[in-house]
Amino acid sequence: MGLDSPDTQKRLEKFRKAPMDGQSLKRLVEAGLTWLRTNQQMVNALNVFPVPDGDTGTNMVLTMQSAYNEISELGHRSVDDMAAAVSQGALMGARGNSGVILSQLWRGFSRGLKGQDVLDGPGLVKAFAEARDTAYKGVVRPVEGTILTVAKDIAAATEAGLQPEHDAIDVLEIAVKAADESVERTPELLPVLKQAGVVDSGGMGLHIILEGMLRHIYGQPLDTPVASVQSLSAMDFESAMQEVEEGQDFEVVVDFYPESELDLQSFYGKLEEMGTSIQVGEGEGMYRMHIHVPLENRYLPIDYIMDIGTITKVAMENLVAQMDEIDEKAKGDLIDLTSVEPGEIAVVTVSPGPGLSRIFASLGVAAIVEGGQTMNPSTQEILAAFENLPTDKVIILPNNKNIILAANQAKDVTVKSVQVVPSRNIPQGLSALLALNPDGDVEAIAEKMNKSLALVKAGEITIATRTVEIDGVNVEQGQVIAILDGKLVCAAKSVEDGCLCLLEKANAKEHELITLFYGEDLNAAEANHISDKVREAYPGQEIEVQDGGQPHYQFIISVE
Amino acid sequence: MKLGIVTDSTSDLPQHIIDEHGIEVVPAVLVLDGQPYADGEGISREEYYTRLPDMKEAPTTAAPSSGDFLVRFQRLFDSGCDHILSIHAAVELTAIVGVARLAAHDFRERITVLDSGSLTLGLGFQVLAAVQAKIDGLSLEGILDAIRSTRERTKVLAALDTMEYLRRSGRVPGAVAALGGLLSIKPIVELIDGEVKPIGAVRTTRQAGERIYSSLREVGPLERLAILHTNAENRAYQLMNELMDSVSQSIPRGILMVNVTTVIGTHVGPNGLGFAAVKV
Repeated sequence: MGLDSPDTQKRLEKFRKAPMDGQSLKRLVEAGLTWLRTNQQMVNALNVFPVPDGDTGTNMVLTMQSAYNEISELGHRSVDDMAAAVSQGALMGARGNSGVILSQLWRGFSRGLKGQDVLDGPGLVKAFAEARDTAYKGVVRPVEGTILTVAKDIAAATEAGLQPEHDAIDVLEIAVKAADESVERTPELLPVLKQAGVVDSGGMGLHIILEGMLRHIYGQPLDTPVASVQSLSAMDFESAMQEVEEGQDFEVVVDFYPESELDLQSFYGKLEEMGTSIQVGEGEGMYRMHIHVPLENRYLPIDYIMDIGTITKVAMENLVAQMDEIDEKAKGDLIDLTSVEPGEIAVVTVSPGPGLSRIFASLGVAAIVEGGQTMNPSTQEILAAFENLPTDKVIILPNNKNIILAANQAKDVTVKSVQVVPSRNIPQGLSALLALNPDGDVEAIAEKMNKSLALVKAGEITIATRTVEIDGVNVEQGQVIAILDGKLVCAAKSVEDGCLCLLEKANAKEHELITLFYGEDLNAAEANHISDKVREAYPGQEIEVQDGGQPHYQFIISVE
Repeated sequence: MKLGIVTDSTSDLPQHIIDEHGIEVVPAVLVLDGQPYADGEGISREEYYTRLPDMKEAPTTAAPSSGDFLVRFQRLFDSGCDHILSIHAAVELTAIVGVARLAAHDFRERITVLDSGSLTLGLGFQVLAAVQAKIDGLSLEGILDAIRSTRERTKVLAALDTMEYLRRSGRVPGAVAALGGLLSIKPIVELIDGEVKPIGAVRTTRQAGERIYSSLREVGPLERLAILHTNAENRAYQLMNELMDSVSQSIPRGILMVNVTTVIGTHVGPNGLGFAAVKV
């Protein structure tokens, strides 16, 4: 529907006449959330590193979802009260760095609307300005070319563009345009983005949220993505598993070559009649379609696609059976945590796999929050771990750079005395945990744990999700890549080669101990085979192999 | 008043100091292949620690007999002592104090048996404090105060190569012994009031050396220092050299370098490094 169409104009007229109260804001938030969810995979695909890493789109959706849950039941409210509730919900649900910053934007936004019954042009400008200020203050070292820059550009553009006759819709239009342009500029500000050939994912997420609000006002659909085709490698069926809806019992994946150019709007439209969790990927002319459908619809997508192209491959999985398997696996992982008494110091750690959880537990942690690269825990989940402990002295090890902010946010919310020891990976987390002397002043202890972060080198082995050149290394999609202390150091043909290359880059010959934590993609025999090769190459070092159980990463390696 | 001073071999005092001050040392007992040996007899410390990891039957230790004490108490009284001070390893860790008290019972008020709450030079430095106070001509009360003061200023800390020997010894609480059950770690332990307390862990010998060094620096200016090890002489010398190089800390003269007695080493294992330090 064009913007100049009579229908849109009539709708706009209606919106402009009614005052924007709390209910209006609620619908805008819902629209922002819906549009963001529709474009979630696209945002996820904007990863700088070609690794299955902290999914920005997913994190922002979950943060927005938590914000919306807080207000979904609220009736008539002032825009001030409604924004405060959104802010509270976003705060508790914040996941990952982008989610945390998003929650801070909402906090500032709500602060800017203090005392306002309805949202007008100047009020919205003030809210954007406060949002920017609050978000910048919340980050220790703000980096330009990120969601922060986009928030700043929105605030600046709306401040500069505000005319006396402008209402909130006019200001929102300015904001969306400014966000769009700002996102496009992010690669100029942040070299890693330019190198990876992407725009900033968090900034894009913010743009999409505001755009969704505007689309709602214009009466444009929110459930069909505009740019709905992603690269094949960006398709993530696993996270789709977390969103299996009741009755959608089968997962169908079809690879095909369309006969003529695919009309995405109608393609999506048809698929939406059949099922949910739709993803479409494309690579070198081949398309891959992913969908969850009910039992009786399981052949419909295949029949439909057969009509419009040539199918090369079909895969069908019974989701119910898969879910049972996942549940069964979870049950086998009872972990013996250390119990703490009131007044004692408790350590909370974030762990991405059952094996690592068991190791952390054996070293005396009192609580484990599940999560890691692909599933960053929310502020709420971290907070719940704090609150469930009988003591008020807590130390948390986030063990991931994308979780440190959420841990800090949880620290700010709780009344307990919490120290965040900013471990950026598992080896650092273990090193810090070993430095723990549970008797004494919690701040001094955290300080010692902090110092021990530097004692280890941390390596990760995973599979590249796309082709890219980064940190001077050329990576082909599907290759094994090695990451050392956050920097991509090697691309290799096999996991074994990746490990050996990583160890060479880590100068392992100069160290004493190499610990290999193997992930869920490898079995013990495979892991032992590779560790034997490592032993041969490093006869002077001690080699230890542990079942880590982490997803996506064949190995997490510590060198010390 | 002529005072006799008695301790046991877990004090790890070097022979020349024992001889110089006429300290009576009751040997604790090492049980090797079912055969009891008085501490220091039968096998050298170097040889013992080299063989320990491969020994089929885990060695154990035992307290001396009350007869061992009686003989020495009697000898001191015969040589003209009016009173005997008998200072021993922590009661939480050995039965030595109990045996000494039993032997002292018949002598009533003439023997004071003290629980040092410590081990190795943590005990040894209390003995030396008594010796010094005696030389300075202090009364029994004054001597006991000197011992107490030394005890309060003493820190005994070690990085063990493995948790295994400590776990086997049963001398740490179960929860602590289970620590690091999955990952191989090198525990850092401190001896506090007779209890072996883990105060952290590391994973490599280099990290262990760094931790011991920084812990020692944290103690501050030192009155006495012993570098303790179980067959880790090179690492012990390295630690001493690092200390010598550090200009910011005053180092006491006469640093002792001690390969710890087998009676203690049995419970901590070889390749441990640590210190006993008395701050100023």
